[in-house]
Amino acid sequence: MSSTDQNSPASDLSTTPNTATDVDTSVDTLADDNSTTHFGYKTIEKDDKISMVAGVFHSVAKQYDVMNDLMSFGIHRLWKRFTIDASGVRPGNKVLDLAGGTGDLTAKFSQLVGREGQVVLADINSSMLNVGRDKLRDKGLVQNIEYVQANAEYLPFEENTFDIVTIAFGLRNVTDKDKALRSIYSVLKPGGRLLVLEFSKPENELLNKAYDFYSFNILPKMGELVAKDGESYQYLAESIRMHPDQETLKGMMENAGFEQTSFKNLTGGVVALHKGYKF
Amino acid sequence: MQAFTSLSTQLSKRFLLPQVATATLELIINKALALNNNKSVSFAAVAQKTLTLELAELPFTLCFTVNTSASKTVVIVRSRSEFSDCTINTSLNTLNKLKANQSLTQLIKQDELDVTGDIKIAQQFANIAQSLEIDWQTELAKHLGDVPTHKLLQFGNKITKSLVGKGKQLEADIGEYLVHEKRLVVTNSQINAFNQKTKEVASKVDTLSARIDKLVANIANK
Repeated sequence: MSSTDQNSPASDLSTTPNTATDVDTSVDTLADDNSTTHFGYKTIEKDDKISMVAGVFHSVAKQYDVMNDLMSFGIHRLWKRFTIDASGVRPGNKVLDLAGGTGDLTAKFSQLVGREGQVVLADINSSMLNVGRDKLRDKGLVQNIEYVQANAEYLPFEENTFDIVTIAFGLRNVTDKDKALRSIYSVLKPGGRLLVLEFSKPENELLNKAYDFYSFNILPKMGELVAKDGESYQYLAESIRMHPDQETLKGMMENAGFEQTSFKNLTGGVVALHKGYKF
Repeated sequence: MQAFTSLSTQLSKRFLLPQVATATLELIINKALALNNNKSVSFAAVAQKTLTLELAELPFTLCFTVNTSASKTVVIVRSRSEFSDCTINTSLNTLNKLKANQSLTQLIKQDELDVTGDIKIAQQFANIAQSLEIDWQTELAKHLGDVPTHKLLQFGNKITKSLVGKGKQLEADIGEYLVHEKRLVVTNSQINAFNQKTKEVASKVDTLSARIDKLVANIANK
């Protein structure tokens, strides 16, 4: 397994790996030490990542739901259902849907917590938040949802506020994942749980190869065709490969203070749901 | 049976079957609620209540939660919930008996149904399901047109009548078989006795054949 050259300029992609198997996720830590981080396969200054990721999501926000359905063949809805099922949500709970985007999880949580409960849809990106707000209002979901533009690393909530925090397909875009996990831990109530739904590493090598081919050859073309933005979807594929694998993320959650951490692979490990508790 | 249950559990988890099933069920239930013509149905008593159904035939549970708002009522179906107001543990067969108005308490006494939690919630869910009125003909006509809908329903009725007739015939045939013909059918013990006697006759024939061979040999020597 080879690692990427952390000192190579951001624009130089000649040393970037082409497949997931070429990527050593340990470089994430090294990148953090040097105050650099990843934007897909590119190594960039940490301070630049937020604006670069923002650029991606401003660009795809309006076509986000359509692209999600197209890219995952609709399976993302089942992954999100699985997350809801695993959340243990009950009436009266206070839920934070972090990086909630267009509000798929928020919609369900809002119906399950009822009038006594509350759901906060938080996203760092205003375009995504606007699309989410419009979508949920069109569905008539208004009574128990709040919208907050927030960075996962610096959550603007008091300690011990939420019963459940979810972050679905958002953690890999966060610049400092460890800081974000610590911030989430802080806002969870004792007994509360964090659910991280994120792309991960397929268990089967054959599936891994097919998935790589799909991600790097078909996905950007679909992005170009539907969202008129192939580059953003190239970033999506690269950012998935740079995201920590199942065991590494589990370890990161434990380092942040979470207990009874576990993960469940979905669709052969293409996606994994990590769960951890604060006691 | 245990191996089968384990296999079905593995398969259902791998292919997210519980999520597929609950999503489909949720879609059907909410479509039915949207088409309901009986506006007197009240969901207030079951608002934010969760009913869990544990069916022996399914490797996962079905949890129904009702959410009511000023604009509409929706039912959310999940494959598991850590909290339930009422949990019913039963089988599909027993559910059919419930539909046929067999007493709930009678089924509990017969150990065919196990209820944990507030039984009123289960009754309220059942009452709502029974009081829904959906005019399928009008709804179909909106999509197909009046004449095709009429023809389709006529055809459907014919098929239903034919199936009901065939079902009754089958029932009668089975009854006839059980009451009359089954008595004439040879039982296992009779077959065993027959086999035993056949073996005895075969053995006697063999002995006789040996004696005849011996006699023939003696005559030939003389």
